[in-house]
Amino acid sequence: MKRWFVVSTAVFTVACSVLAAMPAAAQTAGTYTPPRTREGQPDLQGVWQALNTAAWDIQDHGASLGVPAGRGVVDGNAIPYTPTALAKKQENFKNRDALDPINKCFLPGVPRVTYLPYPFQIVQQADRIAILHEYSRIIRFIYMNGNPHPAGKIDWYMGDSRGRWDGNTLVVDVTHFNDETWFDRAGNFHSDALHVVERFTRTGPDHMLYEVTVEDPKVFTRPWKMSMPLYRRQEKDIELLEYECGAYLLKQEWEKPDSALLR
Amino acid sequence: MKEWLLTTLGTAAAVLLVLPITGRAAGGEPQAFYRPDTPKFPQARTWVAQKAKLPPYKAPRTPDGVPNLQGNWNGPVGGGNDDLEEHEFIDVTTPPQESYVSDPPDGKVPYTPWALAKRNEIRAGLGRGWPGEGSQRLYGDPNALCLVGMPRISFGAQEILQKPGAVILLTTNTYRVIPTDGRPHMSSDAKSFFGNSRGRWEGETLVVDVTGLNGETWFDSAGNFYGPNTHMIERWTMVDPNTIDYEITIEDPTLYTRPWKMNYPKRRAGTGPGANPLSTNAVGAAGRAPASDPYAKEFWEQTCTEGNHDNVVILKSLGFKWFNAVVAPK
Repeated sequence: MKRWFVVSTAVFTVACSVLAAMPAAAQTAGTYTPPRTREGQPDLQGVWQALNTAAWDIQDHGASLGVPAGRGVVDGNAIPYTPTALAKKQENFKNRDALDPINKCFLPGVPRVTYLPYPFQIVQQADRIAILHEYSRIIRFIYMNGNPHPAGKIDWYMGDSRGRWDGNTLVVDVTHFNDETWFDRAGNFHSDALHVVERFTRTGPDHMLYEVTVEDPKVFTRPWKMSMPLYRRQEKDIELLEYECGAYLLKQEWEKPDSALLR
Repeated sequence: MKEWLLTTLGTAAAVLLVLPITGRAAGGEPQAFYRPDTPKFPQARTWVAQKAKLPPYKAPRTPDGVPNLQGNWNGPVGGGNDDLEEHEFIDVTTPPQESYVSDPPDGKVPYTPWALAKRNEIRAGLGRGWPGEGSQRLYGDPNALCLVGMPRISFGAQEILQKPGAVILLTTNTYRVIPTDGRPHMSSDAKSFFGNSRGRWEGETLVVDVTGLNGETWFDSAGNFYGPNTHMIERWTMVDPNTIDYEITIEDPTLYTRPWKMNYPKRRAGTGPGANPLSTNAVGAAGRAPASDPYAKEFWEQTCTEGNHDNVVILKSLGFKWFNAVVAPK
């Protein structure tokens, strides 16, 4: 696989810039040295997007109406739920169309926001990184100003993100979550004890490896990991447009006499 | 709880409803309450006179050689944007205030007769207990449903960041990215709340051309509106180290008899009239925290839709309709 990749890459890169063809297995944090920002940090800036089916199901899954089949992004595919939590996950899955919190257009949490099928833009400053998401115009700040996580307990949808550089890798420690978001449409969930560590590593001019360690002693018996490549959007004049989820939903629900949401 | 709310709201409707929500537009500013004898807040008229006396100013440059607007900026100082046009004391959240409109000089939005009638109809249906209101509730301020659009996002505080080829405006819960690399607009058929922004530098001024607006939000909470054909041009100019002169031109021959302008100063956080010099963050939820607080400059999670369910249900149950973009009859 790797050899196939090395041989074909040279031709492939020159021939076309079709992102989706990049084999995920080649996405290991390797030796690529990214350019630096004016402040001297590895430059992760630009418009990126995940190209996978993790927003529907982070595990291996077959297709169903409106849901493409997909390879999972979880290392080893299994998620180490406690027995009680596994029962809840299965219940969530059964009722996913009704229960998925994203139906309400609320903030989707971390890491789900990263692999929603919408582009996002990374903007770096010396002591802060902003991730601007097209989805609901969400803005996520990662602080690198030396402040630790503020004293809790805080219930935030997106948690509190504190970053640091590990070589060329951006490592983000995220805590202070609420229990109101899921990892995907398939009912994979967490509690307010969720602790996420993300690693963003450039693997090439147009690729970035995104690795996530998930820890939540109330729901999982041990930490587990997911990883996926992120792709730089190649379109000329690419820019974030607008997906105002809450506005469209409310507009649709407003006129419904039987709206379950507006009750 | 719900019943109590409904009873109270029957009389005080929008006053209560709008309060927690204007907080979003204003970037987390605490809501102030005013008395009938509150002095009139200055807006366009006072600012136009003040800036005429300012000496010429050349802003420091970024490494890319363009004016450096970066930093943390307040919105216009005053009683909020409850009513764009000049007004006397209306209620405890609507103190007397000059018009935001600098041109025409009378401070009135130059609506066509049809559009003025429409604005007055909307205003008569606000359900706020304002003078001249009818008995029917028509539309609530779209902002009360967490809908934010142009140019109201600029009325709040924001941080300005500059990158090669782009100016980026950040608030606690939203952003604008304004390309300044000369790329063309998207088709204005592609509508959105914030429109499609294209910036360019003209000397000291960042000029931002905004097209493709959906016309589904208002200029204020009193029904002053624009539409899906409206074109906005913003001009951001530093006139002293701590002041941006913000001017926006509104063009739409289907709704207005002529292009018109709003104009006000945006002050750097901690500066300007009435500012707390210790406050270094105009934007964040900790906006009033002293600079000595290590978290004072951070923008913490600010939700809107997530906590707005009861407001939405109440507004709907009170009979308010959905505000769709207004298009003038041919």
